[in-house]
Amino acid sequence: MSLLEKLQSLDRRWVYLLGWIVVLVPLTNPLGLPVSIGRDSTNYYNYIEGIPDGSVVMITFDYGISAMPELYPLTVATFHHLWSHNFKVIVVASWREGPMVMDIVLKEMKPAENYGKVYGEDWIELGWFAQGEVGMAALRKDISGTLPVDYIEKKPTTGFPIMQDVKTAEDIDLLVSFETGTPGLPEWMRQWGTPYSTPMIMGCIGVMVPEVAPYLQTGQLSALIPGLTASAEYEQILKHPGLATAGIDAISTSHLLVIVLVIVGNAAYFMSKGGGGS
Amino acid sequence: MADLFGIWVTVFFTLAIYTFLYKENPWFRIAESVYLGIATGYIITVDLKYLRDQWTGVWSSTGFMMTAFAFAILIGLLWYFRFSRKYFYLYRWPLAVIVGTGIGQAMQTIIFAQFLSQIRGQISLPLFVAGDLMRSFNNILIAIMVPSVLLYFWFTGGSHEIGAMKVIDKIARYTMMTGFGSACGYTGLTRYSLFSGRCQYLLGIPPNPPEAKMAFITIAAAFLLTLIGYDVFKPKTKEIPT
Amino acid sequence: MSEALRRIEIPIVITILCTLLQIIPFYINVPPLEAASDTFRSWMILVATCSTFIGAITLIMIHSKTIQKQSKGWYYSAIMIIFMAAITLTGLPIPEAGLGDTNTVFDFLFKNIYTPLGSTMYSIIAFFITSAAYRAFRARNIEAGLVLLSGLLMICKNAPITTSLWPGFVTIGDWIFDVPNMSTMRAIIIGSALGAIALAVRTLLGMERGYLRGGGEE
Repeated sequence: MSLLEKLQSLDRRWVYLLGWIVVLVPLTNPLGLPVSIGRDSTNYYNYIEGIPDGSVVMITFDYGISAMPELYPLTVATFHHLWSHNFKVIVVASWREGPMVMDIVLKEMKPAENYGKVYGEDWIELGWFAQGEVGMAALRKDISGTLPVDYIEKKPTTGFPIMQDVKTAEDIDLLVSFETGTPGLPEWMRQWGTPYSTPMIMGCIGVMVPEVAPYLQTGQLSALIPGLTASAEYEQILKHPGLATAGIDAISTSHLLVIVLVIVGNAAYFMSKGGGGS
Repeated sequence: MADLFGIWVTVFFTLAIYTFLYKENPWFRIAESVYLGIATGYIITVDLKYLRDQWTGVWSSTGFMMTAFAFAILIGLLWYFRFSRKYFYLYRWPLAVIVGTGIGQAMQTIIFAQFLSQIRGQISLPLFVAGDLMRSFNNILIAIMVPSVLLYFWFTGGSHEIGAMKVIDKIARYTMMTGFGSACGYTGLTRYSLFSGRCQYLLGIPPNPPEAKMAFITIAAAFLLTLIGYDVFKPKTKEIPT
Repeated sequence: MSEALRRIEIPIVITILCTLLQIIPFYINVPPLEAASDTFRSWMILVATCSTFIGAITLIMIHSKTIQKQSKGWYYSAIMIIFMAAITLTGLPIPEAGLGDTNTVFDFLFKNIYTPLGSTMYSIIAFFITSAAYRAFRARNIEAGLVLLSGLLMICKNAPITTSLWPGFVTIGDWIFDVPNMSTMRAIIIGSALGAIALAVRTLLGMERGYLRGGGEE
């Protein structure tokens, strides 16, 4: 068997092994590659910086445990950014596992100790609302009615100071969404963006990024963090390096592997075609 | 101690899934079965908790609300006639409620959010931007590409062979192929991000527990030994001569 | 009576009424209708949530047959049912009995098994993508070549190692995102919105019955 034929019929398990190597090695021995700051992360950062103190920001967890490796670093960075300012933060989830992810965020960030934020006054977690888009529609009309009990203290939502002036979507100044699929951006656009013109920024997994482009162009979506690379850039802007920055070398080497394999595969294919091989 | 046991269990199940890369094997099947069972059970617990919170929060406040809640549960029980041949038709009633409400919700603003706003965004693109040739060029391209792709989907079959449609067809296909290529690139980012995250756990990189690294090395070695060892030492089937 | 209840028109009428109950109050300001629509929407969420056991019952029906007949792989079915029962029972929302979020067993199963398995299942696809890129991603014609080229350029944009070698990859990647990708997705969004509207109109006219199929009868 010629080298070209061997290359084209290579057992896929060797490719899998290469995949393991190019991810494990840079994680154990960081390459320290520079991360250049792109326009997306800059726009996201500037948007949050631009909203006035005292604004009410609703964060929605539109992702579950499965997408944590890609979205959790951005979630932590965004909470760090928001809690470093004087905003009122309300946390909800349209995905069932959202509150579980928030538990992990709280364990890591400790808002009371590290940021001096008081639960019920500066921030509140209301938990998961059911039925996706229908739940969003119910939430926009009556937030406390849709989520009558808070997630952490299990007390009536209306009893907390932060919720005294927050009744409907009109009282929310910014919607921040971390997304991995449906329900997600189109549903929020239909139920909050169009009727109430609620400004929205989001971070999403790479798979979702292409379909978000039209909303970004029309201005329906104000800013976007598209995947882990931009999350690492955002961490750099905040000077708060985290898991995204720690994993970015592995992203570089794994992407390089894909590029090399595609080029080698195509080269072998065209050379074998040109040589009259099968 | 309990935490250490939990870490070893986490690493075990993580690597059990990855053994599928070698080939289908009992470790993977065990992990798959466990995941399926836990995922199904977890959904039930979250939904029941939601129902309980709704009852204590809103639906137990007045007699009317309590009656409505009880009625909702009764209608909700009709879902389970799905498993009955004789009374299957009752399953369609709550389904009709859900489908009707969902369609109604979406139809409230889909015309504005996804149709008019996109058309407005398209029409408002200036074809000439003073002092920015690149932007002008991009806007002209978008003005050509979007209608081409729309026409490509709307006019199917033999109409693609007629006159100007041949050119529009080519523009649309090239546009879509370029767009889908970028989707491919982003898909790779997501999957490797997820894999990199799992590896950070397996290597015990902070904030993940450092004990995971020893568990990773031990369990990975055990899995490799069993899988490769089985392939090497399994009895070879004799070929029957023809 | 039973024959009258079996009629397909009943769920069709229910669908139409529920759809109109959401659409009309949004466009026509009738406060009682709007209040009814809001209450109905919250009530409907309860009805939808009651369907939570369907998946579990279906799985138990299929896998219990496998266990009963001791078919090939029956022990995997047993493992699945055991773990499903374990997390369901320990996760029941009865904090008075020590069950629910704070239950130790539930917490263990969720944190140490469900959490890692969820992301592992999705991450394994990375290998299949890499293998597919090597074995099948070929520039056989212009269109395949365009997919290949734009894919590679987007990969180069997302990898800091390539953007640090040549920053032009960022510019090119942004251009692909802003122009051909945005154009494609805009056309798809407009088309799918029109399709959804057409589907809604068909449902309102009672012509769309696909969701009512099943049960061995029309």
